[in-house]
Amino acid sequence: MTIQELYGKIGGDYEQALRVLRMDKLLDKHIRKLTTSGVIDRVLEAGKSPDPNELFEAAHAMKGVCANLGLTRMAEAASELADEFRPGTGRRLSDGEVADRIRRIGEMYRTTAEEIRKYEEG
Amino acid sequence: MIKSGGIRRPQLVLVVDDQEINRDALEVILGEEYGIICAENGQEALEMMREHLDALSIVLLDLRMPVMDGFEVMRRVQADEALRQVPIIVLTAEKTAELKALQMGAADFITKPFDTPEVILARVGRIIELNEGRKLIQAAEFDALTGLYNRNFFTEYVNRIFQFHPELHTDAIVMNIEQFHNVNALHGRAFGDAVLQALGGGVRAFLEETKGIASRYESDRFAICCLHQPDYRALLDRFQSAADAVSPGAHIHLRMGVQPWQEDLEPTLQFDRARAACNLVRGDYQHPLMIYNDEMRARELMNQRLLNGLRSGIGKRQFQVYYQPKYDIQCDPPRLASAEALIRWKHPELGMISPAAFVPLFERNGMISDIDNFVWREAAGQVAEWKRKYGFRLPVSVNVSRADLFDPRLQERLVRLVEENGLDYGELKLEVTESAYTDDAKGLLELIRRLRASRFEVEMDDFGSGYSSLNMLSEMPLDVLKMDMKFVRNIEKSETDYQLVKLILGMAKFLKVKVVAEGVESFAQLSLLKEAGCDLVQGYYFSRPLPAEEFEKLIRQEIGTERKKAQ
Repeated sequence: MTIQELYGKIGGDYEQALRVLRMDKLLDKHIRKLTTSGVIDRVLEAGKSPDPNELFEAAHAMKGVCANLGLTRMAEAASELADEFRPGTGRRLSDGEVADRIRRIGEMYRTTAEEIRKYEEG
Repeated sequence: MIKSGGIRRPQLVLVVDDQEINRDALEVILGEEYGIICAENGQEALEMMREHLDALSIVLLDLRMPVMDGFEVMRRVQADEALRQVPIIVLTAEKTAELKALQMGAADFITKPFDTPEVILARVGRIIELNEGRKLIQAAEFDALTGLYNRNFFTEYVNRIFQFHPELHTDAIVMNIEQFHNVNALHGRAFGDAVLQALGGGVRAFLEETKGIASRYESDRFAICCLHQPDYRALLDRFQSAADAVSPGAHIHLRMGVQPWQEDLEPTLQFDRARAACNLVRGDYQHPLMIYNDEMRARELMNQRLLNGLRSGIGKRQFQVYYQPKYDIQCDPPRLASAEALIRWKHPELGMISPAAFVPLFERNGMISDIDNFVWREAAGQVAEWKRKYGFRLPVSVNVSRADLFDPRLQERLVRLVEENGLDYGELKLEVTESAYTDDAKGLLELIRRLRASRFEVEMDDFGSGYSSLNMLSEMPLDVLKMDMKFVRNIEKSETDYQLVKLILGMAKFLKVKVVAEGVESFAQLSLLKEAGCDLVQGYYFSRPLPAEEFEKLIRQEIGTERKKAQ
């Protein structure tokens, strides 16, 4: 599987990722790192605790990484979560809605991670 | 010529972001144009900034990071004078953070997710360029040694103060170090620099207490534009203490000139006057402070008038050469032996002006050569005319000023004058002042040797008026020594002075040099000099300086005496 084919399978914006990272080699490096860096696991973990700051920090970091990688949907979901817990701003979602958003992130991540694993296997 | 763009220093970019993907993304975008180093958090960033400070052109700084965030980095950078010179572009995904970042000193921001590479490159390039330009301006703005403004910036800022803050009524102060070149020569350049540095520090400390700006205007000259001070002597003492702190034993002496604020006085003129006041007390260690006053103004205006009038005065024949005879007193009766050519200026409005009023002025301004050349021409022509008219050979001595000694064509000019007028070389004698020896002994010796080789006779003028040295007498190949008039003045009353005169005459005899005694006014002086063996005498006893027509009477008289003797 080529990296372009992987982007097709995970619904990512390959052109956007290439615009940022300029070359497939770097795309390859960072898409592989997505599952090992723990940047999304941190959000899922934070969702279990009641610490809004940690949730904000984790969502903020995930948003940046996913946006650069052209993983648009995951970046948008992380962005919504970061906005929700941004210090100094009021909450708009209920706890249940937040849990739902985190669950959806988990699902997207699992699908994406599975495809990445297949990509890594060649 | 190397264009300035070709001597750009290497440009290093520090990327600070906890996310590797962001670091990588920026590295690939910027790596082709710049050297890139990376840090993962604020603490690491500060360490790298310090380590690479000289080469660092810009920092791209993420705000949210573990260990130390971007805001804390900016706070610490702002508090550090060296780090503050490096511009920071903030990397942010949050609109709300932009304003805060700019307020904390960020030069610009780049939004995340990243824009197109061209935008990032353009933003980074522009900020680097702006900062490099700012650094160049800063380097030109301040004198590195003293931390004071450089001359051009100072002048510009003083003009702005006058233009935009006329209510400030600032005074102009100019300060110099006495004989600074000697301080450098005696104690070394590093010591001289330390003095300038200490003085700069003293001036800066003063300006922290009052409104004003200052500059090391050039070499050892400082200029200060500040609010009126109640006691300038106290201020000078304060700066003197700052200089003394470097080494009290080195005897650094400052002098100061002040032009207080005056309605409608242009800043350039204000500082010119402060400088003139400062120059006026040059060498006066007892009175090192001068406030510009009306008397100085009148003198300056007069000097300017004289300087302006010199060239046209020569053209309009306002200058006239007078001749004062020198008599050989070892003959009986004394014989008219030669004369000294002296300049006089008959100004159309000011009347007769004493040479004492304009010769030192023209010497200072390098214009004395115009006068000297005029006198040489006139005197050579006059000697030739008297020879033609009376068949009488009367050698005339002319002054060669210090400024003439630097004229590479001096010898050529003099030779031409002698030849054009059909004189022999002994008929145009050259008087060189003693003080020229102290200025440039080697150069003067060389010149005198050359002139004597051309068969000119050289007389040492004003001998004994300054720092005469026996060394000079033994080294200098002279024909005549002109003993300064102050030796002669008191020989009737002072045995010491008479003995001194005898001593000089004895030395001169030993060196086979003739002596002319100047300023002889009485028969008693003449008798004593004759008894002591003096050869020639010049002074009012025989005659004051006379215009050529009147001098001719002395020639006719001399011819008459010679005829009588012959009969």
